[in-house]
Amino acid sequence: MRNFEDDPALADLLTPNQIQRLSEGLSALCREPVLITEQRLNESVPVEFNLETIGWLSGGASASEREAAAGLVSFLMLFVAKYRLAANLHHDTTEASYAELQRQNAALKASEARYRELSDQLQQQVDEQVAVIRQTQQELYESARLRSVGHLAAGVAHEINNPVGFISSNLRVARDYVDNLEPLLPDTADNRDMLGDFSDLLSESIEGTDRIARIVADLKTFASIDQADNALCDLNSLLLSAIHLVQTEYDHNLTIIESLGELPRIPGHPSRLSQTLFNLLDNAAQAIGNDGRILVRTQADDAGIQVTIQDNGCGIPDSIRSQVFDAFFTTRPVGSGAGLGLTVARDTVHAHGGQLTLDSQEEAGTRVILVLPAKQGA
Amino acid sequence: MPDFSPEDNKLALKVVFYGPALSGKTTNLMQLHSLLNPERKGELMVLETRDDRTLFFDMLPIGLRSRSGLDLRLKLYTVPGQVQHDSTRKAVLSRADGVVFVADSQIAQQDNNAIAFGNLEDNLDKVGLDIDTVPMVVQFNKRDLPNVVEETELQGRWAGTPWAPLSMASALKGEGVIETFRVLLDRLYTVIDSEFDLAGRHDIDRTTFIRRLSASHGGDDA
Repeated sequence: MRNFEDDPALADLLTPNQIQRLSEGLSALCREPVLITEQRLNESVPVEFNLETIGWLSGGASASEREAAAGLVSFLMLFVAKYRLAANLHHDTTEASYAELQRQNAALKASEARYRELSDQLQQQVDEQVAVIRQTQQELYESARLRSVGHLAAGVAHEINNPVGFISSNLRVARDYVDNLEPLLPDTADNRDMLGDFSDLLSESIEGTDRIARIVADLKTFASIDQADNALCDLNSLLLSAIHLVQTEYDHNLTIIESLGELPRIPGHPSRLSQTLFNLLDNAAQAIGNDGRILVRTQADDAGIQVTIQDNGCGIPDSIRSQVFDAFFTTRPVGSGAGLGLTVARDTVHAHGGQLTLDSQEEAGTRVILVLPAKQGA
Repeated sequence: MPDFSPEDNKLALKVVFYGPALSGKTTNLMQLHSLLNPERKGELMVLETRDDRTLFFDMLPIGLRSRSGLDLRLKLYTVPGQVQHDSTRKAVLSRADGVVFVADSQIAQQDNNAIAFGNLEDNLDKVGLDIDTVPMVVQFNKRDLPNVVEETELQGRWAGTPWAPLSMASALKGEGVIETFRVLLDRLYTVIDSEFDLAGRHDIDRTTFIRRLSASHGGDDA
């Protein structure tokens, strides 16, 4: 493309028609006709513009007439060229501005696309963060609950252990005293009855205090008052404590069949595992009602430890099976369950690197299998 | 860049008068038109103004023909100084061989000088030229007005730049205009001579170049 500043040729400034009209007009003014051409002819004088010869003027009656006519054409060209230069410059700058606008437009589009992508990524990150927050919230809730149970258990253990201790020990001493009193009393039928009865009363009381002591011990295990957060756990003993607690909750009316194999101790959080086992047993107990039974089996192999808790209760309806692991999902009446039992169970098992599978058939029963690796993180 | 067409043995050079609005670029050109009497001088074209302000550009062609037959042309342009005409300034500045930066000496105008100088640097960069290498002279105009920055202060401020010493002018009175132009011709010659061997091939040495392009009506005082 020509630059606006390039020296114009005659054809750039005037059309052939205009050149002809100009020649005719000048011819009318001169004594002889004149002719404006781009090529040099005989006896022609240059028509100059901007120090540039843009054409030639020939004809006319004399040299001075040609000079005068050529000067007039040069003078006219100045104004024609002014317009031409301004128009060319305007065209150049408009084109440059348009190209610049197009470039900016392309840049804007690119940046818009980039921001859209960023915004999508941001949405995804927000979703992920929300999921993390939800999970943390739930863990916090559960750990707070566990802590309060722990505090309660610690309080109970402390307050009950001592009196139970001296009651139990006093009762045993009292039974010895009764044995010692026996030969000193007159041997009558009334006395024998009374002493026999007395001895039985003391024996039953001793049995009762032993049961209290055992419950307190179970509570302590459950709440892991005396255990570090992360310790080697004996899953069988955790399971037995949980069974005792469930039995206590259901007045020892549950039929629980225990089939416990020999297990290696595994690293883990005893209190959380206890809570998990308790939750699973509690679910089973609720499912069987009054006349069912719960089977608890443990076994170990190379892969790890497998705990099976199986009941022949009501089972889980197909319609809600996909929801049972959801937090705050519960079928129980308001106030009797938070809907976190299975959620916490599954999360705890996952946290220990294990798997929890649930298998259920309505009206036939539910089987939960819990697999924990023998070595965490292996 | 110089436009050399071997078939016509013609060398066209372009000098652009740049600077902030109302600093006197057109006045410089008008004074050159009336004061200069070079070998060849065309008409001063003042294109389209509004309220006496340059809308497109002004142009004055001058030239000389060497004994070797070289047809040397120098086209002097001004740009519109007003901020909104930046694309026009850029178009006029493209392919420039030399620049005269016309600054306003008034104390109140120093910020505008700086802005226009930054704009010149940007636009030179955009048209592929480098402010550090393009032949350039900086003129502080309007020395006749009161409230101007002292010359010693200006010279001191610019002492460390490639454009020292500065030229002082009062274009309205015709003072310093030709002197500024001669400094530019001197700096322009260095660059053009190294590319086209003006002295060797065309018998145009530095003195001839300056004297014949800036001869004034007042006589040969170059």
